[in-house]
Order: sequence, then structure tokens, then C-alpha cells
Amino acid sequence: MADGAVMLLQAAADSTRAYGEFPVIGARAFVWITAEVHLMFAAFVLGVPMFAVVTEAIGIFGGDERYDRLSKEFTRLLLVAYSATAIWGATLVFGLSTLYPRFWAYLTAIFAPSMWVYAGLFFVESFTLYLYYYGWDRWKKGRAKLGHWTLGILLNVWGTVVMFIANSWLTYMMSPPRDITPTTDPTTIKLWHAIANATWMPINVHRVVANVVFGGAIVGAYASYRFLAARTDEERAHYDWMGYVGNFIAMSALIVLPFAGYWLGREIYQYDQSMGITMMGGFMSWLWVIQAFLIAVLFLTGNYYLWIGMGRIPGAERFRPYTKWLLIILVLGAIVWGTPHTMIADSKELAAMGGSHHPLLGALGVMSAKNTAVNLMILTTFLSFLLYRRANTRPVVPWAGTGTMIQGAMFAIAAGIVLFYGIRGYFVEAIVRIGFSVYQVLAVLACIVCVTVIDILMARGAQSLGAIRWGKMPARSQYALFILAVTFTWLMGLMGFARSGIRQYWHVWQVMQDTSKYAATPALGYASKMISLCVLIFLCLVAFVFWLGGLAEKSTFVAPGAGDEGGGRGDRHVGH
Amino acid sequence: MWVTNLKIVGVVLGTLALYTLIANEIPQVQSEVPQTLTLGTNVTPEQLVAAGEKVFNGIGGCTTCHGLGTRAPNLLTDETGTGPIGVRCGKREPGKSCKQYLFESLDNPTAYVVPGYQPIMPVMTKQLSPEQVWAVIAFLESQGGTVDVTASDIPSTTSTASSTGGGGGGGGGGLAGGSTDPKAIIQAAGCLACHKLEGQGQVIAPDLTHVGSRRTADSIRKKILDPTSSIAKGYEKLAGIMPKTFGAMMNAAQLEALVQYLAAHK
Amino acid sequence: MNWRRYADHPFWQAAALLVAAYVVIVYVVPLFPGSALVPKSVVLQYMATVLVGVLIYVSDNEERWIRFREPIHAALVEPRLRPVRAGLLVAVPALVGLVAYGQVRTTVAAPPNLRSIHPAPPSEITFRGKTITLTGLDNPLRQHPESSAAYAADGKRIYYQNCLPCHGDHLDGQGHYAPGFNPIPANFQDNGTIAQLTESFVFWRVAKGGPGLPREGTPWNSAMPRWEDFLTEREIWSVILFLYDQTGWKPRTWETAGEAGKRKGDD
Repeated sequence: MADGAVMLLQAAADSTRAYGEFPVIGARAFVWITAEVHLMFAAFVLGVPMFAVVTEAIGIFGGDERYDRLSKEFTRLLLVAYSATAIWGATLVFGLSTLYPRFWAYLTAIFAPSMWVYAGLFFVESFTLYLYYYGWDRWKKGRAKLGHWTLGILLNVWGTVVMFIANSWLTYMMSPPRDITPTTDPTTIKLWHAIANATWMPINVHRVVANVVFGGAIVGAYASYRFLAARTDEERAHYDWMGYVGNFIAMSALIVLPFAGYWLGREIYQYDQSMGITMMGGFMSWLWVIQAFLIAVLFLTGNYYLWIGMGRIPGAERFRPYTKWLLIILVLGAIVWGTPHTMIADSKELAAMGGSHHPLLGALGVMSAKNTAVNLMILTTFLSFLLYRRANTRPVVPWAGTGTMIQGAMFAIAAGIVLFYGIRGYFVEAIVRIGFSVYQVLAVLACIVCVTVIDILMARGAQSLGAIRWGKMPARSQYALFILAVTFTWLMGLMGFARSGIRQYWHVWQVMQDTSKYAATPALGYASKMISLCVLIFLCLVAFVFWLGGLAEKSTFVAPGAGDEGGGRGDRHVGH
Repeated sequence: MWVTNLKIVGVVLGTLALYTLIANEIPQVQSEVPQTLTLGTNVTPEQLVAAGEKVFNGIGGCTTCHGLGTRAPNLLTDETGTGPIGVRCGKREPGKSCKQYLFESLDNPTAYVVPGYQPIMPVMTKQLSPEQVWAVIAFLESQGGTVDVTASDIPSTTSTASSTGGGGGGGGGGLAGGSTDPKAIIQAAGCLACHKLEGQGQVIAPDLTHVGSRRTADSIRKKILDPTSSIAKGYEKLAGIMPKTFGAMMNAAQLEALVQYLAAHK
Repeated sequence: MNWRRYADHPFWQAAALLVAAYVVIVYVVPLFPGSALVPKSVVLQYMATVLVGVLIYVSDNEERWIRFREPIHAALVEPRLRPVRAGLLVAVPALVGLVAYGQVRTTVAAPPNLRSIHPAPPSEITFRGKTITLTGLDNPLRQHPESSAAYAADGKRIYYQNCLPCHGDHLDGQGHYAPGFNPIPANFQDNGTIAQLTESFVFWRVAKGGPGLPREGTPWNSAMPRWEDFLTEREIWSVILFLYDQTGWKPRTWETAGEAGKRKGDD
């Protein structure tokens, strides 16, 4: 009892210096930039190993050498990216402890043991990475190769655990367990109690998936750069293929991401209703219109890349006429998905609408419509993939006709279920409507899984209509990959702002108040400038990392045959 | 090759610029820290003006229209030769003093609209607390006129749920709402968490029941303002535990009341 | 058949699509029953989306992309199109100038503002000096289902004595005072008002009215009075009961941990 009081007073006596100040840009901007860039690099060094392990596995079990080389090329980039992550992380820690000493003391008082574990795992992870990369050529065959692959898996395990630990700190700031009050002595809080807070697991899952997306997108951007810089057709073909793989992985994981985000949002609402309303309906509501815009860009660009890609596949002409219908669905979906519920209007328009809800279009601004739109967009994107996949083959199994019909019926049923619940959502109470989105999601996922299974079975021994002409891509498709990577990165920054901003003027939600001069949460305009700045810093550094990668070793591309007769005078009719 | 590089840089910068532009095009809403403006009964005009200026430029959002533009009259600078608002406010409506006129403009903006302007001003008394409203009036009066707003203009408010959180506060408040009752100050400052006084409180720090016999009033005052200045015998290990912030938390009247109260405990 | 040549050409298709989209959004949408004009910000957003879609359409196929660029190329270099070129060189900068002028021109109109219709409620309020926790709160009158008809009748009387002038006979926000207000009174029949809200939220709005709205609910604050000054707690709850009873909406319910678990089990 007396001890506790002494502690409290000690804390009060120490509180004389709660905040430091950083010259020119200010304390908040400094922590914002270092945290965001650190996070982007962290996502890179977590996403790329996942990518590397998956491609290595494809190489081992599928017997395609290209995948193994691709995997190694990326692990090489990891080495540099890894130290960049550590540098930015260290800067962040110094920033926090010098600029927010009171808050940092509070956090360390609770989480100290987990921070030591974090540092320890960081060591282990580094050594695993070195073994993984430098052992690549040593353990190339048979069992050794499997062992090497296991190292890759271990690398991912360490990385994921490290991320989970860091997530626990920031989710604690968002959703400290309810029994913790401003007067709770931080040293009395049980570590696991603080770690296992309401939003920890949803954030973990969301970030793992998002890292895969991010890894794929960065790989795509890298490949597109090498494609544009390529001098020979063979090189172009290799990087065209790599870009396709990166894009494929990014888009596939992207399809899962909204569901993880939905779970997180739900937990936030459950944890604190007013936090949830601040996020979706309060001062942040417009953030979601911007997010909708970015996601529409992702869907449209991703599909665009696939459709252009059909130009290099013999047999794709059959499906050409359908793409414009897919495009129409996507554009309509983007329109619905982006329709704001509360519209920006001047006084005359407000009077005509009778409020800031449009009497007709306002119906498109609610959850039912948006869920329906995004589910249909996901289905459409999946259909694009399917057409792409099937473009240069003709199935020969006797039930091919029936199979295609079943697949078609599945799409129709899934779309029907999505539309049915979307429309029905307008006529039921909210709690039921929230349940509907689960049915919509399940219908879409079930359709994707079943159709894929049928498609794999049907593709057995399929007759080829000619090899894909890798490398025969117009340059604008590669710029599309760049837009994808930039948009993913920016979206990550925006979601980071959303997650951090809903705490508003609290360091730790309703436990520790931010009393610095930066306590007010900035408006979206300022945030967007910060995000753009962070993305720019990150991309510049990544470009540097890529350039270093090219400096250390020639690309993994090996020209087939003995000589590279194309030499420097590559056929340049593609592009520019 | 440099053409390609430039193109890539262009695509990247263009995408970033587009997103930034869109986010800046929409109306900007900043989430402010809720602040309760506590102005005591002995608030000075200077304090009111300073608080009002903050509201005017900040949370009140006045400058959106009353800046240098054509949406609303300029308040801080000359308007059609009539001088800034403090000069002209008493002459706008016959029979209304400057104070009455300004309050009406904030409470019922459409009652009198300056010719040539549209009735677009929101009712500010719904957005701001009475303290904030009167602080703004004091600030506007100070622009070329004399400030005659006093604490008696501010209606006493029952605390409502909308005013959450302490968040610093302004003005010369002090502990326990500025009360000079020593018992209330001791209660609010939490002295009894360590000290014992008349049988109440903890025994971590010296018992204050007979502190007046050990220390003079001056010594007590010095000890509160700078706790490390002198340490009672036997308590050397606990030096530095007593917060140094009490001096900043009390106003002079409170400090004096507390010192005299303790000094009387012989 | 000259027009067919144009109809098949991607460039003119694109142009026609954009014009058609503009006509539909600006002129056709307001014609629907119960509709209204579309705000400029939304028109811009829709047109930008359509433009991106059109650009994707013309460029996702090499052949179409080449044909699409033909007229643009021709307008820029062909000698016979000199007048067109000159016209474009004047028209495009003029258009850009006009847009820029429209952006920077000062007007007397109030700047567009975002007003949040359903701002975040506080977790607790003080009702006549008594603290009421809103989180997890349900209508206490629902604990006595046997007398709910009596409560609703009570609520009906109170509604007609107090709320009718603004919220109207049909609970649709069309009372005879309604046209004078900005924002207009809430329409309880609409599925976007009480159907979306918990009863505790409705209680907060009724008790604290327009003056109790947080900053997101400004600048056009609702004219709703603070009913805690006129009605008792029980009277407000009975009006709320009446509103749901009469419109047939069900209040949004709090999701309890048990319920969530059950639903996860069902999936």
C-alpha cells in the first residue's frame, strides 16, 4: 500500500519532462515518419521472405528452376532491406524515448520483458537469414535443399513472432484491457494481460495478409523496372514473368484482406462503440471514401494488367469480347463503393437534397450496397484470372462442357447470393444486416474455392494453343504495376493513420492522455502529405536497395543456350 | 534509359500527387482535444482576451469566413472606413451596446446582418461554451475598443457530460476550482497520500499535525515550492519524492492560505 | 454510312460514353421519383471513375489503343485539320484557365462543410444531475413487456404534444415547421435513422438535442431542443418506445459476447 503510493509519487515527480521537441519538423512528424518508414521496411522484410519461401517451394516441388532463382534474387535484396529496417527501428526507439519520455517509460514499465524477447528474436532472425542466403548454393540438392527450405520457413516464423510482439505494444495503445484505468500502476499490469488485448489478433492476421500483398506488389514493381530496363527479349521475358507472379500473389492475398479488415473493425466496435463510430462515422468517415478510391484503383489496375497480358497469350482472343463486360461491372462497382453517405455539398445543394444525404444515391452509401459492390468486384477479378489462366489451353476431359457450365452456375449463384443479401439488407435491422455480410463473403469464398478445384481438374492434359509469349507486353502494363505498388504502399500509410488516429488525443486509449502540443489529430489533408512523404522516402530507399542488388551480382536471369546472341541490340519494338 | 527512368519517376510522383490532392480537396476536419475553459470569478480582462483569441483562431473556426475575404465582414481590420470591430460594434444597432451587439451576433446571427452579406453564420452559442463565447466577445472588444466583459457576464454552468476530460484548462484556475479553503486544497493536492494531518493520511512523510512548531511560515512556503530545499531528519532517503509541481498548481492566494493554515498547526 | 464509321471507332465511342455518363448523372438521376440533384463533388467523383474505365477500355487491347490514338495524332499533325488544331490550342488552355478561375474566385457562399449526421455518442451523460451510462444501455421500459402497450400509448401522447410540429404526423420529418429548418428534422420512417441506431443513442439525441451535438455535428446545428429540460427520463423512454412501435423498426441491439460466440458457432 505504502509502496504503491511511493511509486505513484515517484511517477508524479518524474513527470516534469513529459515531452521533448524535435527541431524544424516537430516531435510528432519525426515519430510519424520514422514509425511509418520503419513499418514499410518491416512489411517488406516480412512479406518478401513469405514470397521467397513460396516460390522456392514451387521450385522444389514443381521442378521449375526459374522459381528457385527468383527466390534467391529476392533473398539477396532482403539482406540490405533488413539493415534498413533495423536502422529505422532504432531511430524510432530513440525518437520515442527522447521525444515522448513519459509515454515511453509507461510502455516499458509494462512491456519490458517482451522487449528483451523481441531483441533476442531479432538476433535469431538475422542469423537465420544469413544462413538462408549464404547457404543457398551449398545446400542445393536433395535433402539439403529441403533443410534449406526449412530455414526459409523458420525465417518466416521468427519474423512473424517479432511482428506479433511489436503489434501487442501498439494494440495495447488502442485497446488496453478494460480493467486498466489512468490510476493503474503500470508495473502491476500482467504482461500477458496487456498483450492479449482486444485488437491484437485481428491486427496480427490483418498485417500478415497485408505483408504478403505488399511483398508481391514490391516484387512486381521490381520486375517491371527490370523489364523496362531490359536489353534482350529473353531478359524481358524473364521479368515479364516475374512481374506476373508478383502481381498474382499480391492480388490473391488482396482478395482475403477485406475479410481480415472486417474482423478488425468488428473488434474495435465491440471494444468501444464510440471509438468505432469515430472511425466510421466521425471525423474519419471521409478517410474511408479515400480508401474506397484506392481500392478501386487496385482492382481496376490489377484487372487492366491481366487484360493487357491476354495480348501475349495465343487463344486469348476467344475471351476478349467478355472483358468489356467485366470492366463495366468493375466501374459500376467502383462507383457504388465510392459513393459517400454524407456528401460534400454547398448550401444550395444541401437544400435541394434536404440534408447531406442524397435521397436516391444515399442508398448506395450504406454498408449493404458497399459490401455487395466489393464482393462483386472480387468475383469479377477472380473471373478475370480464370479467363487468363485458361486462355491458351483447351480442356480435353470428356466433361469439359459440363464442368464449364457448373463453374458458370457457381458464379451465377454466388453473385445471386451476394445481390440477394445486399438488397435484403435494406429491409432488416442492423444486427441481422451485419450477419449478412458474412453470408456474402462465404458465398464468394466458396465459389472461388470450388471453381478453382474444378478448373485444376479440368486443366489435366489440356490441349495447348501455343506458349505464352512472355515479354510481349506493352510498356504501359509495367507502369500499371508501378501504380499498384505505389497505391499499396500509400494505402498502408493511410490505414496506419486510421489505426493510430482513432485514438485521437490519447497515447493509450482512455488511460494516458496526450498533453503535448500535438495532441489534436490532424485532418486528412495534412495526413496525406505526411503519407506521401513517407512513401517517397521508402520508395527512394527501396530503389537504392534494388540498385545495390544489381551492383552486387548480375541478375538471376541466365540466357538459355550458350551465348546471348541478342547482345545489346535487343529488339525494342515493345515498349516506348 | 533515362527516358524510362524519368517516366517511372513521373508515374510514381503523379500517383502520389493525385492521392494527396484528393485528400486535400475534401473539407478538412481536425479532431481537437476537448478543452474546458475554466475562468474563475476573479478573471482579468487580459485573461479573457487571451482565451478569446485562442478560440477565435482555433476551435471557433471564425477565421474561415471572417478572414480577409468577401464572405463576412473583416473583424480585425478596418471595414469600409469604420475601423476594426471594437470601434464599430457599439454603432451597429441603435440602442445596443457593443457587448450586447456582439453577443447577439453569436447567439442569433440572423437578427442583424450587415448589409451586403448573406445570413450564413451558424449559431455559435450552440458550438461554444458560455465561457468561450464571452472570451471571444472580450477579444473582439479589445480590437480597438474597451473590454467590459466581466466574470459576472458568464452564466454559471452546471457541468455536463459533454465537457469531458481535464486537459489542461486555461486561465488562473488553480487546485480545487480556485478555492482558498485549505482543507479543500489539501484534499485536491492529495497531500494526505503521504503526510498525516490531524490523525488522517499516510505516514510515509513527516506528520504535519504539529508542523507549525517545527517550521516558520516562510520555511513551509519554501518547502512547498521547492521540496528539496530542506529535508526533515530521518527522511533523507525519501528526498525528491515530493512533487515539485505544487507551486504551479496553486494560485498565490491558495498557497498563502495553505501556508498560514499549516503554520497555525503548532 | 458515315455514322457507323464513327460508332465503331474507339475514340468516338469513348467520347460518346463520357457524354452519356454525364447526361445520366446530371440530368437523368434527378428525374427519378424522390430523387434530387447530384452534388458537384459527387458528379466529379463519378465522372473520374467513368473516365478511368473508358481509358482502360481503349487501352487494354493493342489494336484498339492504336486506333484510339489515330484521331488525336491526326488532329495534331495533319495539314487539313489545321482549323481543328488551332481551335483546340485555344480551347484547352481557355478551359484550364476557366477551371482555375472558378477554383480561386471568392464567393459569398459558405464553404462546403462535412456534417456528421450520427456523430459518436459519449459513453455516459448527465441527465438532470444523474449519470447515465449509454454503453450497453437498453430501453428500461422493455423489461416490462406486459405493459408495453400502455407505455407506447403514453409515448404517443407525449409525441403528439411535443414532437409533432417538426417530425410530423407520419413520423416522416414532414411536420409543418420542418421546411424552415436546416438540417431538416429526422425522418423516422427512413431506414437510415432510428433503424440504424441503438435506443441509447436515440435517448442521448432526444435528451441533449442540437446543443448537445459534438463538433462533427456542426456547423448547421439541429434545432432540436434539449428535452431533458422538459421531459422526464421515463417520458423520453416511452416516446422512444412509441417511435419504434409505430414505425415497425427494431432498434440496433448491443452485441453481447455470448451472442457473438453463438454466431461464430453457427457459421
